[in-house]
This record gives sequence, C-alpha cells and structure tokens, in this order.
Amino acid sequence: MNRRNFLQALGIGGGASALSACGLDNNRYYTPVENVVPYVNRPDQIVPGTATYFATSVHTGPNAYPTLAIHREGRVVNVGGNHKAPVLGGVSRYAFFEVQRHYSPDRLRSPKAAGQDVTWEAARGQLADLVKSARAAGKKVAYLGGYKGPTLAKLIDTFTAGEAVFWEPLGREAEARAAELMFGQRILPRYDLSGAHYVLSFGADFLGGQWGGQWSQGEFARARKPVDGFVSRFALVSPHRDQTGANADDWYACAPGSEALVARAVAKLVADKKGYTGAAAAWLADADPAAAASAAGLDVSALEAMAATFAAAPAIALPGGVAGATASATELALAVYLLNVVSDAPGFGLGGFTGPVHGIARVERLLADAAAGQIGVLLLDEHVNPLFSLPADAKVAEAFGKVSLVSLSSHPDESSSTAALVLPCADVFEDWGDEEPVTGFHIVRQPAGVSLYDALSLGDVLLSTWRALDPSAPAGTWREWVQRRWMSEVLATPVVDALSGAAPGAESAAATGMPAAADPAATPVAAPAPPSAALQRQWEQVLSDGFFARPAFGQRVVPVVTGAPVAFTGVAAMTGSGEYALHLFPHAFLADGRYSNQPWAQEVPDPLTGHVWDSWVHVHPDTAAKLGVKDGDLLEITTATGKFQVGVEISPAGRPDVLAVPFGQGHADASGRYAKAGVNPVTALSVTKDAHGSMAWQQAKVSATAVGAQSDVWSTFGGDSDLDRKFVGLVSAEQLAGGDAPHGETRFAGPMLLDFHDAPWDARLEKAGLFDMYGAPEHPNYRFGLSIDTNACTGCGACAIACYSENNLPVVGKTKVREGREMGWLRVNRYWKPRRDDEGNVDPSQMEAGFVPMMCQHCAHAPCESVCPVLATYHTIDGLNAMVYNRCVGTRYCSNACPFSARKFNYHSYQWPEPFNLMLNPDVSTRTMGVMEKCTFCVQRIRRTKIAWKDRGHTDLVADSELTRLTACADACPSGAITFGNLNDAEAHVTQQRRSARSYYPLPETNVFPAVNYLGRATFHRKPAAHHGGGHGDGHAAAGGAHEGGAEAHGAEAEPHGNEPAAAPAGH
Amino acid sequence: MANHHAPAGVGIDPHDPAAPNRPGTYGEANRDIIRVLLTPSASFFAMLGGSVAAFGLFVWAVLMMFTYGLGTTGLMHPNMWGVMIITFVFWIGIGHAGTLISAILFLVRSRWRTGIYRASEAMTVFAVMTALLFPVIHLGRAWQVYWFFPYPNQRQLWVNFKSPLMWDVFAISTYFTVSAVFFYIGLIPDIAIFRDHATGLVKKVYGVLSLGWRGTSRQWHHYMGSYGFFAAFCAPLVLSVHSVVSWDFAMAPTAGWHSTIFPPYFVAGAIFSGCAMVITLLLPMTYIFKWEPYVNLWHFENLAKMCLLTSGILTYAYFMEYFIAWYSQNPYEQAIFIWRANGDYAPQFWGMVFCNCVAPLLWYYRPARTNIYSLMVVSILINIGMWLERFNIVVSSLAHNFDPATWSYYWPTNIEWCILVGSFGWFMMWFLVFCKTFPAVAITEIKEMIPPPLKGKLE
Repeated sequence: MNRRNFLQALGIGGGASALSACGLDNNRYYTPVENVVPYVNRPDQIVPGTATYFATSVHTGPNAYPTLAIHREGRVVNVGGNHKAPVLGGVSRYAFFEVQRHYSPDRLRSPKAAGQDVTWEAARGQLADLVKSARAAGKKVAYLGGYKGPTLAKLIDTFTAGEAVFWEPLGREAEARAAELMFGQRILPRYDLSGAHYVLSFGADFLGGQWGGQWSQGEFARARKPVDGFVSRFALVSPHRDQTGANADDWYACAPGSEALVARAVAKLVADKKGYTGAAAAWLADADPAAAASAAGLDVSALEAMAATFAAAPAIALPGGVAGATASATELALAVYLLNVVSDAPGFGLGGFTGPVHGIARVERLLADAAAGQIGVLLLDEHVNPLFSLPADAKVAEAFGKVSLVSLSSHPDESSSTAALVLPCADVFEDWGDEEPVTGFHIVRQPAGVSLYDALSLGDVLLSTWRALDPSAPAGTWREWVQRRWMSEVLATPVVDALSGAAPGAESAAATGMPAAADPAATPVAAPAPPSAALQRQWEQVLSDGFFARPAFGQRVVPVVTGAPVAFTGVAAMTGSGEYALHLFPHAFLADGRYSNQPWAQEVPDPLTGHVWDSWVHVHPDTAAKLGVKDGDLLEITTATGKFQVGVEISPAGRPDVLAVPFGQGHADASGRYAKAGVNPVTALSVTKDAHGSMAWQQAKVSATAVGAQSDVWSTFGGDSDLDRKFVGLVSAEQLAGGDAPHGETRFAGPMLLDFHDAPWDARLEKAGLFDMYGAPEHPNYRFGLSIDTNACTGCGACAIACYSENNLPVVGKTKVREGREMGWLRVNRYWKPRRDDEGNVDPSQMEAGFVPMMCQHCAHAPCESVCPVLATYHTIDGLNAMVYNRCVGTRYCSNACPFSARKFNYHSYQWPEPFNLMLNPDVSTRTMGVMEKCTFCVQRIRRTKIAWKDRGHTDLVADSELTRLTACADACPSGAITFGNLNDAEAHVTQQRRSARSYYPLPETNVFPAVNYLGRATFHRKPAAHHGGGHGDGHAAAGGAHEGGAEAHGAEAEPHGNEPAAAPAGH
Repeated sequence: MANHHAPAGVGIDPHDPAAPNRPGTYGEANRDIIRVLLTPSASFFAMLGGSVAAFGLFVWAVLMMFTYGLGTTGLMHPNMWGVMIITFVFWIGIGHAGTLISAILFLVRSRWRTGIYRASEAMTVFAVMTALLFPVIHLGRAWQVYWFFPYPNQRQLWVNFKSPLMWDVFAISTYFTVSAVFFYIGLIPDIAIFRDHATGLVKKVYGVLSLGWRGTSRQWHHYMGSYGFFAAFCAPLVLSVHSVVSWDFAMAPTAGWHSTIFPPYFVAGAIFSGCAMVITLLLPMTYIFKWEPYVNLWHFENLAKMCLLTSGILTYAYFMEYFIAWYSQNPYEQAIFIWRANGDYAPQFWGMVFCNCVAPLLWYYRPARTNIYSLMVVSILINIGMWLERFNIVVSSLAHNFDPATWSYYWPTNIEWCILVGSFGWFMMWFLVFCKTFPAVAITEIKEMIPPPLKGKLE
C-alpha cells in the first residue's frame, strides 16, 4: 500500500465510521428522543403521588361492608377500612383478594366465543341472538350466580323472568329455609353480637368471611373488649373447631350431627328456666335434654350450664353454617331460632341480608330443567362454580351440555371454561352496584380505578341485551339504573319496612312454588322521575361516604313464630360405613374456593394451622396414634362414593371421631395457575339434602388408612405451644369484668420480670438492677407504638394480608415457603394452650387457641440495631426501628439477634408477573436479593400523615385520631384489635391501652423495651369437673344483670358470681 | 509441658525407643529438609489437583449463590446462619494452634515446639485465609463487603462499632496480619538457606524474599529481638481473636448463645481443634517426607497432651452450660439445652460429645497416644467433633429461638456441602504449595537443637 492508497482508505473508512456514528444508518447507538411533557391536562381527582380514596364495597356471600378503594394514578392499589361505618370496620380479608383478583394474570381480557377472542360488540350480539332464539323456541333463559346486591338481583331476576338462582355452595340456605318455616319469611336473620355476654354457636363461622364477616366479627370483638363492662364468653357446640371455633372459650365437642338435638334441648331448658309460654313452646314440647346429651356424648350438666348462662345474661345463639350443614341442617337453624326466641335474645331479629338466598333444591331444579331441554340459555355468573363445588351426582356437566352456557365470569374456572360464550364482565373495582347486608344498611359500589380491559359491567350487558331484544326496554346505563333505584327507593323513602315485601326472586313457598315472572314494564326504572337537587346532593354524599343507613337499620324486628312445629329427627343421618365423620369446613382464606387463584390467599398461612398452598386434614392426636400417622403423612379417606388423599395435620381442633378437611382447594388447571393445590373433598361426596331441602355437607362416614407416604403439606408453624413464654397472656375474665381501667398491679399470674408500666426509663432500669451502657434513646416528639388486643383478635389474618398488600411483600410459592422463605412481616401466631381449672389441673379437651399477631416490636433497646455492622438498621427519633434496605449487606445477624424472629431475608429477587406489578404500592420500594426487611410501622403512611397534618396548617403533633388506625394492619383489622399511636401522648388510645392492667410484653426478660404491647386474653375458669357445680358456677363469667346491649351498660352490674381465686391458669 | 526426659539441646527424646534417627549434623538437617522441595512427584500433583478441583466446587457453589441468592442454601427463617458460619468458626479455630505453638510455646521455652512450629504456623495462616472467605461469601450482598471498613468516603457512611461483626473485622484482620508477618519473619533465615542452594530465577525469588539475610551476628541479634517481640505480640491475639469470634454469638440475646462462658470456651476449643489438626496434617507428612529425625512421636505425644488438656476444659464447659441453664432457672436456656440433647440435632450433639469428650480419653493411655494410628484416628474425630460443636451452637439455638411458632429445621444443601469441601480444597492447595516451596520444618531452629559440630568433623 502506497501513501495514496493509504490516504484513500483512511478517508473512506473514517468517513464511513463518522457517518455511522451519526446514527444515519441505524439507531443502535442513537439515544431516543424523550420529551418531558407537563401534566397539564391531568384527570380530575388524580394527583400524581397522592392516593385518592373511593368509598365502595366488596362482598363475599351475603357479607358486605363499606370499604375504601385506594387509588393511585388511575389504578386501585389497595383497600382500606371505611371507619365512618358503624361497628369496628376494618377490611375483610377477601377485599384484598379482590384487589389481587383484579390484577390476576389469569383474568380474561376479552370476550370469547367458541374459544376465540371476539369483540364486546360481537359477544353482545351473540348473547342477544342466543336469548332471542331461546325465547323463540319457548325455552327459558336462566341464571345461576352467588348472592347479589338488591339492585343487581332485581335486574337479573327481571331479565330471566324469575329463572335466576342465587346460590352459594357454602351459603346460608338452611337459615333461610328455617326462617321460612318458622317466621313465614325467607330471610336471613340478623344476629347482633355487640351486646351479647354469651355467644352460643353451633358451628357458625361467624368470624369467617362468608357467614357474617366483618359485621359479626366487629360486633363480637367489641363484646370481647371490657370497655362496656363485660367480656363476652363464646361457647361452641360442634364436633370441630375451625378458625372461628378456635376462639371459643368453651368447646362442647358434640357428636357429629347432634347439634340440632343439643340446641333444641338447651332451648327447652332455657324455656323452662324462664317460664316461656309463647308460640314457640309447642316446638319444644317433646325435647328431651337427657336424651340429647347422651346422643351428643355430653354430660347433661353441660347442657344445663349452657342453658343457665344463656338464661342469665344477654346471650345469643348462632346456627351452624357449613359446620352445621348436616342432614338436620334446617332443624339446627330452627332449634337455634327457638333458643333465641324463648330467651328473647336481644341481638336476634329478622333484619339480615335481604337478597334472595336460594337452596340446593333450586339448583337441582335448574339443572333438571336444563337436562330436560327446557332451558335455552344459562347465564353463569362468577363466584359460582358448580362443576367444582357440586358432587358428580349433581350431573352438572350433563346439564351444561344441553344449554347454551354463557359465562359472565371475569376469571376462568372449571365451569366457565366449558361455556360457549364468555363475557368477562367488569369486576368489583370497575363496576357500579350496591349491597344491603343488613336490612336498612345500604352500601354503594362505584368504579374505583380504570377498567383494566375495558370490560362491560354485568348490568350493562343485561340491559343492552334486553334493549336489543325489546325496544321498549328501559333506557339508561347500569350506572343510571343503580342511581335511580337509590334515589327512588333508598334515599327518597327513608322508612321502608323491607321485610314486608318479599325480596326479589325469593322462593315464595318451600321448594315448589315458582315465583311469578316479573314484568319488565312494571319495574320502577321504566319511568324514572328526575331527581331533586336535594336527592342529588344526598346521592353525592353517599358516593363520598360509601353507605347510607336508613332508620330501619338498628331497629330490631322482633321475630314472631307463625309456622307450625316441624318434626325433629334424631342425630343427623350419614352415609357410608366408616368409623370417622368427614367434616368439611371453609378454608379461612379461599372462602368456597373462589379465591384459590389469588396468591395471597394461598401463601398467607392458614391462621389455625399455618398451612399454605394445600389441603390438609385435621386429625386428633389419639386418632393419629391409632392410624399410625405423623404430621405431613398422606392419609387416604374413603367415602361411600369416592376417596381422596390428603396430608395430615395433627390438631386438637376436632373430636377423635372426626376428620376435618377444608373446602376450597383442589381446582383443575382451568381455574388458573395458582389454584392447583390440594384436593377437593367434594369429589367424594354426593348431593345430600336434609328433610327440608337444605344441602348437607357433613354427610359422610369415612374410613381412613395411612398411605405410608409423605405428603408435601406444609405448615409454617413451628410449635403448637408457647411453652408459657408469655406470648399468650391469659387474664382471668372475672377480673376484666370491671373494665380495662389503668391498674397499679399487673393482673398476670407470676411475676413480670420488668414492670414497664409508666415508670421512667431510668427508674425501670434501677428497679431491674441494670446498667444501661448506651443510655435511653431520646424521643422528643413521637414514640410510635402499637397495642394489640389478643382478646379481640380472632385470628382472621386480615392484618397479615393487608401487610402483604401495603408493603409489596413478594409471594414466594409453596416450594420456597417449605424452605422457610415466606416473606410475611406480620405473622399471626397460634398457640394451643391447655385450659386449667381452678385447681390448676390441665383439661386436655379444652385447648384454647391464642392468636398473637407478631411483627417487629420496634424495641427501644433493639438487639438487631447494635449488631448490624453497617448501621443498616437504627433507631429513629420517632421510636421506629428503621431498616435501610440500600445499606444492608445481608449479614442476617439482626435476625439472629431478634428475640421475636420478626425479620425476613430476601433469599432471592422476587418477581411480580404482569400485571401484578400494577398492584404494587408506589410508596414502598421493592427489595432485592440479599437484604433484610421487616415491619416498618408503615413508615410511608406515617410520613404521609405528618405531611398532610402540616399541610392542614397544624404546627403541633399529629392528633391521636389520625394515628389510631394508621398502619395497614390496624386499618384492616375488622376487630379493631390493633391500635397505633404516639406513646409520648399520655392521652392517646395506645398509651392508655399500654397502661391497662392487661397489658403485657412477650419475652420481658430480654429487656428490649418494645413499642408493641399486647392486651391479655380473657380466660374463663371452669369448675374442676363438669358435674361439680352444674349450671350456675359455670356461667359466672358472663354474669351481669339485664344488659340492654350497646354502650350504656358500663360495668356496674358486671360482678362475678363465683368467688374463685383470681389466679390465671398459666401455673407458675 | 515439655517432656522432662528431654535433655537440653537435643531435638528428640533420647529415651524414646520410637525415635529412630537422631539428627546428625547441620548438613544433614539442610539436606533432609531441602530434599522435600525437590521435583514434585506425580502423587503430589494428584493431591494438588484434587485440592484445586475441590476449590473449583467452592467457586461454582459461590457463583451459584451470588447469582441466584442465598436461597440456594438451606438457610431459612429464622435460621439465618448455617454451614458457612460454622465453617468460618471452624477454620478460625484451626488457625489458633500455629500461633500458640510458635509464639506462646516459644515464650515459655518449650523446646518440643521446634520441629512442628513451622508447619503449624503455615497451617494457621492458611486456615485464617480460608476462614476469611466465609464472612465475605455468606453475605447477602457480598459485593458490598467493603462497606465493613471504616474509611472516610464520599457516601458519608460509617460503621457500627457496637457490632461484634465489626470487632471481628478488626480482630481477624489483625490476627491474620500479625500471624503472617510472624510466620514470614521466622522463614527469613531458612529462605536464605534456600537462596544459597538454588540457582537461576528461583534463586532470585528466594533472594528477594530473604531480604538480604546474610546470617551476620548483628542480623541475628535484631532477628531474635524482633522474633521475641512478635511472639509476645501474637500471644494475646491467640486469646483475643476467638474471644471476639465468640462474641458474635455471646452478644446476641439468643438463648444458648448469650453466655459469658463463651470466650474461654471458644479459645479452649480453638486450641483443641488446632492441635488436633496439626497432628492430622503432620503425621502423614512426617512419614511421607521422612522427617523422623526432626518430628516424631515426642511431638505428637505432647500435642496429644495439649488436646487432652483442652478436651477437659471443653468437657467442663459443656457441663457448665448445662449446669448454668439449670442453675439460672432461665426457661429459654433450659429449653435449648434440653433440646440440643434430645431434639432434631441430637445426633450432632452426641457426635460432638463423643468426638470431643470421650474419644480423646483414649490418649490418657500412653501407648495410645504414642501410636500413630490412634493419633490419626482420634485427631480426625476431634476435627469432626469441633465442626459439630459449632453446628450445635450456631444451628440449634437459631432453629429453636424464643418464639416456638417460628421453630424450624435447618439442613444444608449441596451448595453448602460444596462450600465446606471446597474450603478444605483451598486450604490444602496453599498448604501443599507451601510444602514444596518453603521448609515446613524450621531448619535454623533445628540446627539450634543439634549439638554444635566439633572441630575436625566439619563437612
């Protein structure tokens, strides 16, 4: 190469590379233009970085409670408690699952016809064609769905001309049927627990979600707090204890199927005691307490004790729910009504859920009609999944094969995946609607965020289809329909006796009479009157408040027995020949299985057993020894019609002759990627009804054999006992009857090594003879603290789930949970404590479950802080134990030093599969592999509250009212058991609770000066043996004169009858 | 501690019938020891290859950990420490015997240290190098390890001097530095001998390393002064390092950890394991390298006696932990100690008791402690027992912490076993390379033991 060639090559090469560097030929090295666009035209109500709250409602079964949807930049990211609402508020655990369901990656994004995605337009057209051709052929258009709010139920009923069935597998049909038989109205009664000194439950899952949820939980929790001068005593008559039953103070483990006998016998005893002579006396004529006691395997004195306590104090009895759904389910409900009626239980009235509650008989008739070809189109709503929740002999698939099945579910499941046409309707955060869970209490539902997939609401689908078929159909959108009904019925007519008119679609007579098909033209919406300005304002206020209480709410509708007595059969019959009774109970989180595809519902440990991502069977320790199984072994359970295998959980929660399996697991692939866990016990059952047509779930005698293999069930609970380490603080209930006033002496048995109450720091140290090397931390303004009332806590787990939602906790899946990597910052510990009688003897049949929510205790002397080499965790001036994720190097020493094991480590970097990432709380950073994390007392909420307080012009410290339910757990707790606040404020609720005589600190010996205190759990003593004292002494704790319910009755009359020593049972 | 039969100035016990070859002359000493450094055999390369391969496992396991997170280990809530911390304490413990033998026994003029102190010191330095890997790799974010060091930085971040881990940083880095320097100082005259015997590039390297050692009287004067100084400097470190390591546990309020007995108990355990490891390492070397004139049963018997003493201390400490748990009436301590002996980790506990308390008792019988097979077997048992001891301390207290609801069961994964095996590979790799490059028996000190050559017998 000579000089010229070299220069030529240099010129060409240099030029070419210069040109390519300019990005002319490709954009690989080219920075894309990014324009900063000012957010001038921002949508109304959206301020970036600020949450907006929409008052709405989330419902599960008949239970609904006002809820706030927390909205950020167009999306619902969380739910919070609407604390304007009555009772204790909080958030149902299921509301969080609805948020996760909203963002589920398995959610259907567009309508499908024959498996192919179609437009909404086309899908609606197809639906209209289907309905048209069905009607033309003289066939019916039917609907099958869960319990619905009044407006939607009415629309559906109208659309289907009365062929709508509102049924839930774990629903409350027996109660509705019993009310029909006894009171002549098919309605769910209202059980107000807030004034009840004695709650006698026959298996009701009233602290679970579907039965009563926040209503009964909040009322019950209120009665568990001694502020009203009494502490309610909860007695359970059931062969098994579920999460609700675990809270029972007295457990009468009756033989399976004998609940109705016991209830009726107790009613008889109460009637005799009270000299009752009313209309219900005829129902009790032939009740025989001695025979009932012997059939139930109980001592007759136990029945007398129940009756004595029931008669002496304001008490209420609750029917069975799923646990009582035996072959005498309706009889049990009748007997419980009798018990309430004869004692005139002040909380019992006819003002519960007003919507239609249909029974299995209606479903069977629907399926029979379908199989007979009488039904052209069957609309299948979400939350009802008959192919999953009904036994094979219901022949659901055959019936579905004969109809044009149209699924309205936004999520795939076993049933909807067989539908020819799928219209994934808007979910609870995208739709309008309303609820009336208790007569007179109306809750509005409104869209709280953008519609993720532009789904149409069910109401709009029905209305537009109706209009496509019938030009004279009412105009307007579903939103207008809801609004019009509120204005014309709820707001405009404030005093309506909702009970006088039968609820839409209610069965008028037993299982035979068909309701008259409603005439569309006769509906009130057909001729809307323009709303007045006052009504308009009231409507807007409702949208802001989220609820509206008519005067009917709070007025007790005294039930009048009008029906003729029915025959009571003996112990409920069971099919099969095994030696054990198969007991089904609702999974604490999955409800009837509807939330099984929500990772939180699977991952947050079951409050009673700690199980995750699986089914299990409760086996009594004696039975386990007999069967030769250990925790986690596979057990094969054989019914008359099938069998299934499930892992063993040895638990004192059931009688030795009972094997209890949760309902809700065992889904097929069609239900989504997270739902495939556990077994579905329903597959081994048959459709069995009691004499009055109610579903009998507790139907099978089974045999059980150890398979000899290990299952992969996994419980996160390490040990069942707190080994008297004071995680559970037991306080004698007699002493609490005087109220929760500050007290000089702690009421706990045995010395607390350090008395934390009130004394200044130095004095405390001096008292303990300690030398403090580093001095006390200074908290000039705030020292944030938390107080947890373990007597009000029912172990529902809402706090744990709220923490997952608020703090972006990753879900790690079953394999990783088994490896001990679950990330919950707040765990609800459950300890079984054997009850001791007054002589200190342990009664192994009376295990008490102590639920203790445990999280970072934000110690003033935190062992974790001093051991961190890089100061990643330190004490803030506000008393928080702060954790700086970015500074953490991951020595994990802090966790080892933490006496409460409250810290969690990121063993991996976790992912949120799209679109779960949209659900993340923008205020909280997600953490990566290798750092520790733990409860922060929701520091982001503290910051937000402080800033908002300042913005409102205050210069002082944030008021206590702004703080008490600030943290996500406190906000969510439906029991109001968690109180947050500033411990420096002597008047703050949290400080007062800390000073309470029942305040205690787990592990006081560790001398860590925690910011979290617990309030002790009331324990009710028993006489050494049941036959000892009979009724009166046993009922001493729920003593008290005529208590009218409510807050007026302050402790004056609450005087213990007995003179038992005050020693708490934890023998030291 | 020295055998009273040993006459002054002689490297071996003349009354010991097992002593076959008495060292003859300075030249023989040079020759015998330098012979070891001659061309390595195939078996040497096989051993070295095995060690490097084992270390390869370690590297693979650590890369897996760094890539996928500590979830690849068996660590779990609340059992946050496992094999890596156990093995860290194990190697730190091994690293105690060398300095003890070379420094403390030097200061008390125990002559039997001469033959074995070099190899023990090398063992110490390499064991501490091995131990140092663990505090780094066990971190959740090992790439941030430099945050442990308090140096003025732009991030304006500082460290927490209250943290026992911070004390570890100083204690272990000090110990490593001082041990390494002391080790090197002792090597200087020997390196000079190598330099004098070597040629070519090797001579240059040894030349630089010998720091110009000529063996003048003035140099010897300074050398002995500084050696004595470092010996005095090292002696307290032997006690302090493992005390500080024990505080990693004792400073946390965890039941089973939070105990004042930990520092002496850990130091005794460290010396116990270190002496056992010296026996395990030197016994085969003595016979492979034919060092019988310099290292023989006299030394091993004395090491065995050291083990017997420290085994007694440990047994006492184990007993004392139980006694105090009972005497204090602390329910948490009681629960953890009852559980250690009866719970999920009972095999490890009883294995520890057998290896550390029972098996060494054999050595009270003199023929047993002068028998190479019994020495070898029991010393290996002691090493296993000391690893199990750390397993018991670290794991059982965490697995059954205060809150019964969080109790868990930790068991290591293959990743952790690879790390454990790999750490031996790393240690042996350095030790084998050392044996072939530096005298594993101190030539100059051996010569001090040999009677001065008489006139006319000079070679």
